[in-house]
Amino acid sequence: MKIVVCIKQVPSTNDVKIDPQTHNLVRSADGVINPFDKNAIEAALKLRDQTNGEVILLSMGPESYRESLLEGLAMGADSAYLLSSRALGGADTLATGYPLSQAIQKIGDVELVLFGRQSVDADTGQVGPIVAEYLNVPQVTFAEAIDLTEDHHLIGKRRLDAAEQEVEVELPAAVTVRSEMNQPRYATPRQIQKSFEKPLTVWTEQDLDLDPERIGLAGSPTQVTQVYAPAAAKKRVTMLTGTPEHAVQELLQSL
Amino acid sequence: MTDKNQKLANQMLMHMISDFTNNELAPVDMLIDKQGDYPEGLFELAVQTGLLGITLPQQYGGAGFDYAATAQALQIMAAGNASLAVTLEGHFKTIEQFMKYGNPELNDHYLPLATHQILAFSQTEPSGGSNPTGITTRAVKQGDNWVITGDKIMITNGGLASVYCVLAKTEDDQLAVFVVDQDMPGFSFGKREDFIGLKGTPVAEIVMDHIVVPDYHLLGQVGQGLEIGDQAHADARVLMGAVLAGIMTHELQIAVDYAKERKALTTPLYQLQVTQQKIADIAIAKQNTELLYQQAAKLKVQGQPYAEIAAMAKSYGSRSAVKVGDETLQILGGYGYSRDYPIEHLIRDARAMELAEGSIEKMNLEITKAEINK
Ligand SMILES: Cc1cc2nc3c(=O)[nH]c(=O)nc-3n(C[C@H](O)[C@H](O)[C@H](O)COP(=O)(O)OP(=O)(O)OC[C@H]3O[C@@H](n4cnc5c(N)ncnc54)[C@H](O)[C@@H]3O)c2cc1C
Repeated sequence: MKIVVCIKQVPSTNDVKIDPQTHNLVRSADGVINPFDKNAIEAALKLRDQTNGEVILLSMGPESYRESLLEGLAMGADSAYLLSSRALGGADTLATGYPLSQAIQKIGDVELVLFGRQSVDADTGQVGPIVAEYLNVPQVTFAEAIDLTEDHHLIGKRRLDAAEQEVEVELPAAVTVRSEMNQPRYATPRQIQKSFEKPLTVWTEQDLDLDPERIGLAGSPTQVTQVYAPAAAKKRVTMLTGTPEHAVQELLQSL
Repeated sequence: MTDKNQKLANQMLMHMISDFTNNELAPVDMLIDKQGDYPEGLFELAVQTGLLGITLPQQYGGAGFDYAATAQALQIMAAGNASLAVTLEGHFKTIEQFMKYGNPELNDHYLPLATHQILAFSQTEPSGGSNPTGITTRAVKQGDNWVITGDKIMITNGGLASVYCVLAKTEDDQLAVFVVDQDMPGFSFGKREDFIGLKGTPVAEIVMDHIVVPDYHLLGQVGQGLEIGDQAHADARVLMGAVLAGIMTHELQIAVDYAKERKALTTPLYQLQVTQQKIADIAIAKQNTELLYQQAAKLKVQGQPYAEIAAMAKSYGSRSAVKVGDETLQILGGYGYSRDYPIEHLIRDARAMELAEGSIEKMNLEITKAEINK
């Protein structure tokens, strides 16, 4: 079973910087794998071991994302693809989902695509569902458990804010993974060394025959006009004193 | 692998070790000291994460990182907890002796096990550790076998390790190193030492009662025992220098954090000149030890003599870590003297390394000898 895990590199520190001109996040050179994506990799590795499958990592981003792919390979993934070129830069979630879905089609025979539930820098959680739509496969978002059935289905347990839901979908399918699903393994020292011997292929828009109108900044319908930290709402507490009757009077008046 | 990729791989190793240290080790540092052992599952997790194979060549299933990267990894780890770093130090320095002196049959037998089983090195006996020519463990040749009888004490990882290199004397009074393992008839464990520091690292006695080993279990040649023992010490000292730099990293962190937060009336402690002197002492000692062990490791990787610098790293590092640990304790005032704070156990942990792998006095004699013979 071929499993693709889409991963993103995010800044390793909490002090995320925003470019004052483009309002996009400034990607720091020192990046780490998006934490939820590590859960997705772990889930994929477990399924691979059950099914004798293959885990393929896929990411879109600058050349420096190679380091995160190597880390994923060092966790045990089998091969990796990086979609990287100038034309792909500045993409929103739609212009990210499109190239990723095309890459998955080019990889071929993929039965399961896993994502983290969202990235910790942009926090949209949209790329997984967008890729699923492009591929026209069923999606299970916010999954905290997944199981394969013998008749080629996947049962996913979704955890939502106020509900739990169990859904069964036919493979191929896409799943976005919550951190509750598992505890990601560490990259081992040996696998770190071996990760450099594993296939890591870089594709550009030409390799994927992408529609130039639908990629990069030009292909992004979302324009970020402003990103700002919300002003903390000031809450006011008024103490009502005196006898209970007096306090009630005062309360009624102020309401 | 290209140099550039190897550099990146080393960086990835350091990230992974930092993650492991922050998630798994630092949170149980106090617990390890209090309960006098590793918490259940910690050592197993270290094995599962492949930490036993950092230096082991890839042909035996290891990762094959060089000694400099390995030492740096141990510094990072020791800044979270020194016990596990010392357990690995004992293992790695023993692997080095197999690599340098082991015959192919011996290495093919034992080194593949080293990814998940600990190897240990045993010289010290109840009669003493500083003067190995006085040992009483005997190796008697019988046909194609050797019969080994003796008692070794204070063995790092005793009980946890399954394979032991032992220094023994042959009938013609020559020193030689043999490899025995815990499954051999005649092998047993004695008492675990109740040491005052490094409470996670088991240190114990092993007893050998007429253990029969085939000839290929001889590490190196008969007559090479002293040389191999010295070599094991030199390799151990590089890594212990790193562990000590790690302990001082921890001490410095504690001192700086506290000096920023604690006030003498309204003045933070770090603004007092007396505290500033202490923090500078700690930082200098940490930095010096780091430079010494890194230089020793680099020389070793380059195939140049490193024993003297390695002795300096451990001699200077162990004395300093105890001394600046004491200064850190002083900065913390009464809290520093409390077992609710980690500093007192860092001093006890560091204190072990003024003895283990050769006492300070012995190392300083070696350094002096090297200087006089230059
Ligand atoms: C935590 C820990 C881990 C250890 N792990 C191991 C291990 O894995 N394997 C192993 O074989 N041993 C191990 N040891 C033992 C250690 O190597 C010895 O404690 C050390 O070599 C000193 O030997 P000793 O304790 O017998 O003291 P002694 O040799 O009796 O020395 C007592 C004192 O006299 C001084 N002294 C003795 N002889 C001389 C001399 N010729 N010149 C100058 N000064 C001298 C010493 O410096 C010391 O101060 C460990 C010890 C500790 C504390």
